[in-house]
Amino acid sequence: MNKKKALICGISGQDGAYLARLLLEKGYGVYGTSRDAQVSSFHGLASLGIRDRVVLESMAINDFRSVLQTLSKVAPDEIYNLAGQSSVGLSFQQPVETLESISVGVLNLLEAIRFIGLPIRFYNAGSSECFGDTRGAPADETTPFHPRSPYAVAKATAFWELSNYREAYGLFALTGILFNHESPLRPNRFVTKKIVTAACRIASGSKEELQLGNISITRDWGWAPEYVEAMWLMLQQERPDDFVIATGQSHALAEFVAEAFSCVSLDWHDHVIIDPSLYRPTEISIGRGNPAKAEQILGWKARHMMRDVVRMMVEHELTPENK
Amino acid sequence: MKTALITGITGQDGAYLAEFLLEKGYSVHGVKRRASLFNTDRIDHLYRDPHERGVKFKLHYGDLTDATNLIRIIQETKPDEIYNLAAQSHVMVSFETPEYTANADALGTLRLLEAIRILGLSKKARFYQASTSEMYGKVQEVPQTEKTPFYPRSPYGVAKLYSYWITVNYREAYEFFACNGILFNHESPIRGETFVTRKITRAVARIKLGLKQKLFLGNLNAQRDWGHAKDYTEAQWLILQQERPDDYVIATGEQHSVREFVESSFREVGIDIGWKGEGMDEKGLDNSTGKVIVEIDKRYFRPTEVDALLGDPSKAKKELGWSPKVGFKELVSEMVREDLKEAERDQLCKREGFRTFKYHE
Repeated sequence: MNKKKALICGISGQDGAYLARLLLEKGYGVYGTSRDAQVSSFHGLASLGIRDRVVLESMAINDFRSVLQTLSKVAPDEIYNLAGQSSVGLSFQQPVETLESISVGVLNLLEAIRFIGLPIRFYNAGSSECFGDTRGAPADETTPFHPRSPYAVAKATAFWELSNYREAYGLFALTGILFNHESPLRPNRFVTKKIVTAACRIASGSKEELQLGNISITRDWGWAPEYVEAMWLMLQQERPDDFVIATGQSHALAEFVAEAFSCVSLDWHDHVIIDPSLYRPTEISIGRGNPAKAEQILGWKARHMMRDVVRMMVEHELTPENK
Repeated sequence: MKTALITGITGQDGAYLAEFLLEKGYSVHGVKRRASLFNTDRIDHLYRDPHERGVKFKLHYGDLTDATNLIRIIQETKPDEIYNLAAQSHVMVSFETPEYTANADALGTLRLLEAIRILGLSKKARFYQASTSEMYGKVQEVPQTEKTPFYPRSPYGVAKLYSYWITVNYREAYEFFACNGILFNHESPIRGETFVTRKITRAVARIKLGLKQKLFLGNLNAQRDWGHAKDYTEAQWLILQQERPDDYVIATGEQHSVREFVESSFREVGIDIGWKGEGMDEKGLDNSTGKVIVEIDKRYFRPTEVDALLGDPSKAKKELGWSPKVGFKELVSEMVREDLKEAERDQLCKREGFRTFKYHE
């Protein structure tokens, strides 16, 4: 049997790196794209030691020609679209680029798949941000969207574009609605990484203070390497369908902070100050997911909960070769 | 005296709204796209020579796909109210031009909101977004209210849903006075000729006068909530006159099928239509002559259909004091009557040897 080929759009991010590793382990030929493959650092792939095992291509997802060329050249069996502007905070500053990279990007991929006519299976990265504030009710696949940021509105748009192409043209396409999932590969602008690195620096003598926005918000945090398994599982089913991926447990950001500082034997109260300028224009107070369908149909279940995630991120940060 | 800016001024709703606002004493600025053919038929009667004094109606060339152009127009006109009615508004065409539809209908709205924000006009300019019942698509409950979850079924519906949410977001994030009017189908004698209602009434008039033989349609059983565009114009204005910005469903609360629309239209010109056959082979016959006057063409089916839409306008009734005045029968009758006049004019021209256009789709 020929080796299966997977194309990961947006391979330079956290999920792209872990997914590439998983697919290589499963024997796939892995192709990855980035806006400019010549200048991207692919730090994530490098730190997992797989940079040389992945074929890298330049592709601008908002440029149809570029998408079509890449798909024709690679002719993949599976496409995982993880590309696009990924920060909620930044989306308030760059709403147009957010919409173009996310919604126009998905539209280009769907159109290109239709055009090429190969039986490509397509995974698109949705987001729990689409649910907005569920007032504590765990969101599942039937929960209506109420997006609260340009990022979330764009992700909701991509969800519906995909759903429409699946129904109208019978594409094997689906959306994974992933709740927050963290790892040492998160860039520093994500609050989890920012907290862990600051706590570790302070523990080793730094006099800095950690400035945070709203720490009363509650989120469902999981471990990214587990979440990429769910992505793969979704594309191995008989029928294309959408899934919520989450741990099912949520915690206040303050608990995350406390856990990180306690891992390095510090009391967070001595080191954190609240900066209201870091509050978002519209904030989601409680995020909570219900992954029951994923467990039932995919047999997937989160193994690491918030405290494990914090501990593993801190351990990674304190390992000398990772500094 | 207030100033209003209307995008999509050359369309059905733009024309009615411009007329309505001028009557209320507004200065009205309209944005029209440049085209190589004149596209201002619907607002021709409102036009005044700009060389006259005190002209209150002005048109600007512009396009929702051009951000700097929108910024400049808003900067120049400094409107108190902006009505975003511009869009690629045809559901079926959106399957053929999905990217353009997203660019104009989704990104276009974002560009307008950003222009207001960049110019620091969010406190001054109230913003109306023309949302649509197509966002309900595969309906999640009947009838549809402001609380019904959405399920868009076309690139048009998806793009409009983006605009709905980004309007809500700019209201919540930046305190814009930004509102969505979720309008169910609204028709009139100046409805675009390729929309199903107008296509039917035009064809009926022409079949009656012998200028056309047959009408080809898609899904006869699709059900819609049809109101008169003129009534809906008032609702658009009322939405921006409230104390707080909010979203409203505008509808009649009555549902009819395309089939009923066809039957009522033919009845208006004294033709009694009967149906024979099923599915794609179904045909509509003139009962008095036995001639086939309606046939099904699969080209007019959408890849994903929206079967039934029915709006619940209770909130608009209660909070805006709005209710529709024109009923289904009256609407059909007015549209057929106006299309008969046009067909008669064409018939006259033809008889006198002048050229007329068939305007095929």
